[in-house]
Amino acid sequence: MSLGVQPEPAQISEVELLHAVARGDESALARLYDHYRLILFGLLARILNSREEAEDVLQEVFLQVWRRAGDFDEKRGRPFTWLVTLARSRAIDRLRLLASRQRLAVSAARDADEETSDAVADTFHAEQREIMAQALAGLPEEQRKTLKLAYFEGLTQSEIAVKLKTPLGTVKTRMRSGMIKLRELLGDQKKSLR
Amino acid sequence: MVHEEYNEMLPAMALGALDIEDARAADAHLKTCVECQAFLAEWEDTAAALAFAALEEIPLEPSPRVRSRILEAIRTGAADEAPPQKGGQKRVEPSKVIAFHDRQSRWSAAQTWGAIAAGLVLLALLASLLVLWRENQRTKQELARLSNQVRDAEEQLSRERQAIEIVAAPGAHMAELIGTNVVPNAHATVAYDPSGRAVLLAQGLPAPPPGKAYQLWFIAGGKPLPGRVFITDASGAGTLNDHLPAQALNPAGFAITLEPESGVQTPTPPIYLSSKMS
Repeated sequence: MSLGVQPEPAQISEVELLHAVARGDESALARLYDHYRLILFGLLARILNSREEAEDVLQEVFLQVWRRAGDFDEKRGRPFTWLVTLARSRAIDRLRLLASRQRLAVSAARDADEETSDAVADTFHAEQREIMAQALAGLPEEQRKTLKLAYFEGLTQSEIAVKLKTPLGTVKTRMRSGMIKLRELLGDQKKSLR
Repeated sequence: MVHEEYNEMLPAMALGALDIEDARAADAHLKTCVECQAFLAEWEDTAAALAFAALEEIPLEPSPRVRSRILEAIRTGAADEAPPQKGGQKRVEPSKVIAFHDRQSRWSAAQTWGAIAAGLVLLALLASLLVLWRENQRTKQELARLSNQVRDAEEQLSRERQAIEIVAAPGAHMAELIGTNVVPNAHATVAYDPSGRAVLLAQGLPAPPPGKAYQLWFIAGGKPLPGRVFITDASGAGTLNDHLPAQALNPAGFAITLEPESGVQTPTPPIYLSSKMS
């Protein structure tokens, strides 16, 4: 995994894809979808606990990408971060709209003969997944739980404090410490997590 | 709140976990603090990496229809407004600006052309209305014709059902009518049950002339008793449901003649079909 200072070629092409989408290039949007669908869908499915809702929001996300690609500024962030942040935001909005959550049974969410088509993406994501799993495992349990409640369940610091019956100040400290620790553990490998 | 306090909020902000008051304060600060904007971008990278924690060992695959729907939506314009443009990436669009000094000199010409165009549009609309009205009338007529056909078919079906009941009834009788030399190829069958219900099935009878119809006769006590009238179709087939007169519940025979379409009390020769006398 390259840790070079210069942007990776793949990253440059993703920037160009977003610029192309901003110019109205449908094929660029299709390529973006093909490249990011697995990671975004996985995130949405985790947050929403429903395949149907996740697919619905995934569609909304890419329609928003189509409308707002012109807002992306490569000086202020990476395409991956922009897309994931957008997707998470839509998912949390949808989560708050839903009256109740439905459990996602993984066996029900997955078709019997479903295959993930892009073998290269599989390998790449497996590596990234492992990196993140190890990093999270390196966090103290309270910090890990706080980060997960915030990121995957959309809870604010006050809501986490209520849920965990913990003082708000403690939650804030754990959240900040957890993010600092996570960033340290990911280290330079964070550049490849995209 | 001092700058350092905002700085400390940035990780939580990247997680979307700030309470609303803190979020508003941080947003306001970020509008003017380039340093915090850069720090936030880094924290957002860290937060976005958490998406990989949601990945299954075998990643969940969205249905292919999601991709299709997205592309369909953007092609049909269902994705709301077109993508906004960044500076330097504008699409070329035709100018919609009309020079001010041209506006007044074009106005009276525009009025005239506008009036002509409006007149033409009105004429076209009137012509369209006329065509539509005629179509509507034709459709109504066709509908009436079809309704009549349906009614006739239903009546035919009813008669045929009754014929089956009569023929299948216990104690039913059947008589065969043979065409005379007037209509040598004609043939008919009359079936009747003990209650007196009768059905006639005829074939090979040419369609009667306008104002005329075939009439069934019951022969009893040496006298012909009038039955009902019927007509045949182009194939020469005709059916009739009738009831034996009280005096002819055990008829000696049957006959068919051609009569005025309202029917008569005594038969008009020649006889077209007759059964064997018993």
